[in-house]
Amino acid sequence: MQHRAFNRITSEPRSVRWIWFVYLALYAVAIPWYWPEGYIGPLVMGFPLWVATTLLAIVALAGWTAYVIHRFWRSEDEETV
Amino acid sequence: MGSGDIVFGPGALIAVGCYLLSMIGVGYYARTKRQADSMADFYLAGRSLGLLVLFLTLYATQYSGNTLFGYTGKTYRIGFEWTVSILFMFSIIIGYMLFAPRLVVLARAEGFITPGDYISYRFKSRALTLLSTTMMIYALCNYTLAQLKAMGAAVEGITNGAVPSAYGIVALAIIMVIYETLGGMRSVAWTDVMQGIVLLIGFALLVIIVPTQLGGGLESVVQRLREIDPSKVQVPDGQGNNTWISYVFLLGCGAAIYPQAIQRLYASRSLAVLKRSLMLMAFMPLTTTLIALVCGLTAIVVLPGLESVETDQVLARVLALVMAESTLGYWLVVVVFAAALAALMSTADSALLSISSMFTRDIYLPHIKPDSSETHLTWVGKVFSWIAVALLVAVAIGTEKTLVRLLELKFEVLIQVVPCFFFGLYWKRLSGRVALLGMAAGLVVALVLTWSGNRLPWGFHAGVLGLFINAGVCAVGTWLAPDTSEER
Repeated sequence: MQHRAFNRITSEPRSVRWIWFVYLALYAVAIPWYWPEGYIGPLVMGFPLWVATTLLAIVALAGWTAYVIHRFWRSEDEETV
Repeated sequence: MGSGDIVFGPGALIAVGCYLLSMIGVGYYARTKRQADSMADFYLAGRSLGLLVLFLTLYATQYSGNTLFGYTGKTYRIGFEWTVSILFMFSIIIGYMLFAPRLVVLARAEGFITPGDYISYRFKSRALTLLSTTMMIYALCNYTLAQLKAMGAAVEGITNGAVPSAYGIVALAIIMVIYETLGGMRSVAWTDVMQGIVLLIGFALLVIIVPTQLGGGLESVVQRLREIDPSKVQVPDGQGNNTWISYVFLLGCGAAIYPQAIQRLYASRSLAVLKRSLMLMAFMPLTTTLIALVCGLTAIVVLPGLESVETDQVLARVLALVMAESTLGYWLVVVVFAAALAALMSTADSALLSISSMFTRDIYLPHIKPDSSETHLTWVGKVFSWIAVALLVAVAIGTEKTLVRLLELKFEVLIQVVPCFFFGLYWKRLSGRVALLGMAAGLVVALVLTWSGNRLPWGFHAGVLGLFINAGVCAVGTWLAPDTSEER
């Protein structure tokens, strides 16, 4: 849709394509599809290795998201919009 | 302490009672701070929420009774596979990024109060607005119902069954509806600040006391779990991974368009405030859902053998064990119990306020009394809140489904509204007729699959498959019958 208010948006994450490839890669690590069936592995800080890997990927996803919101979601005069 | 004794003594009961009554005090104070007798002031706090209030109200609303009771119960049933809960709670923030940048500026420009305001403005279809609003109200009623059930489970669990859940449900629902009708969003958001802080403290205490005091540390808990039931420590199988992907779609899309969440986007003081709040929210699953997971794992080891509905009371039972061990444990549990009430009430009050606003603005105003004044509409909303709470309490007392099951049924329906936001804000040629057709098709697929017992075909939720059909209908329909009215 079109609206004059959209002219105030100078950047939005949805339209920056490469951002989403990073998300795809991080989700591919976070979802534990690549481990052998029935795998548990050694414990890392109390978590099985596959869970520790997923948690690490979620931390990376959160950090990446904070950066994307800060850098790629921009609007004119953000203090009043 | 015998198994039937009330675990809280008079001191703890007075402390919890004061905490609950203070919420009514906050509601009264919020009422004195109203700026105008308008719907925007009552339902959006005059679009004035700053960073602290917006962040804590988003947090307290998003992390509900399900996070504490439903998620510990689900972890008790399936073990580490529920690590997906941390991933899907995070994914909600990505959902926001896919539509919020446009919706926020549009809402400010056009003065939206409800999600239905946007749908009505964008598609100019009374049928689509009515159907989507009805689906959102249904989903929120279900959501509130889950919170009410959890309130009952909390009270019954912490008292070892001495106080029946029905009493807890009625008392807490009355307190909630009083402060909500006193001050609207301002009152709900300010009580959310209190509730959010108590919730954060409660989760911090949980991660300190539950695995260490009861299970001898997380490593010891997982070692024992590995011996007792290795299937709860193993990586999920192929179908399990499909379910993880499905949960990411179900919650990432569905929870981002919760009406109460959308109204918080509308209510932020500025875009800068909203962005900072969402940046903080991206990290909150790690301080909240992860802790619920650890508590559920500890419960498998220290309280083996619980079944079905009992598992949703597993956290309350674990807390009862901590309480019995020492005076310090007793008072820590009083704080955690207050946090549990905070989680339940902050989510339920927000959902209730949204239900009231959608009924008033999207159903009563256009279909029942179009010439109503803002004062009359606000009054109707308050009356409707009381009626809705009374009905929901009656249903909550009379049903037995487990909390997570209730949550999933809600999303099967709510998620079908997603294309209206995710596509509607970007595809100028998506017409109301096509969006309505897609929504109806997605809903039929989701409900038929659910009712025919195929709730998780190939590991995917019925609602997610319905959403794919819905999105497909929107794409093909826009290509075959594009809406050119905007261009004209």
